[in-house]
Amino acid sequence: MNTDYLDPINSLNMPEMADMTFAMDFLLRAKEGVRNLSVALTESASPDVRALLRNHLKQGIAMHQEITELMIRKKWFHPYELNEQYQLDQLSAKNTVMIGQMNLFPDDTSRKGMFDRIPDEHIGGHKA
Amino acid sequence: MNTQTLAPHESMELHEALNFKTLCLAKSKLMQGLVFDQELKALMQKDVIQSAQQIAELQAIYARAPFQAPVPNSPTPITH
Repeated sequence: MNTDYLDPINSLNMPEMADMTFAMDFLLRAKEGVRNLSVALTESASPDVRALLRNHLKQGIAMHQEITELMIRKKWFHPYELNEQYQLDQLSAKNTVMIGQMNLFPDDTSRKGMFDRIPDEHIGGHKA
Repeated sequence: MNTQTLAPHESMELHEALNFKTLCLAKSKLMQGLVFDQELKALMQKDVIQSAQQIAELQAIYARAPFQAPVPNSPTPITH
């Protein structure tokens, strides 16, 4: 497995793979939203709360459909060609695990020196 | 009915819906700076606009939660 983030081989097809990942996140958020709202709707009693949640649920379902259609058209998602989907699933898992093993941020990432006040000063900073 | 205080369990559902929507808005906004595909970016921007509208509607009803309290004008959250 390649764990060298400076290796130019890693930039091959990178935009497509990144977009596929972001679109998948977007799709899962839309899907989770639809499910969450359905649960919330069946837990509510007030008519106006139910009306609001139902309205948001409809918008969520429409957004989920739009994302699905975009992903199918771009060939980032294959709900009918399951062999294709299987390959994408395995490749993106493999590629992402490889990225997970790279030391992408070796330096201190606190960035606290960039602010006019030390973050968390009021609670004793890192000692809190 | 519309001015009545919400039941605790409804308030909790709205708390979850509002926070979920807030996170979705933040992600759709931030990820627009990372995507390459312009159609995907446009759909994320549509989600940002729709989410902001939905958040405003959720906030209006969440204001009737039994534990509602005055919110300061400053956009900076209370972290202490």
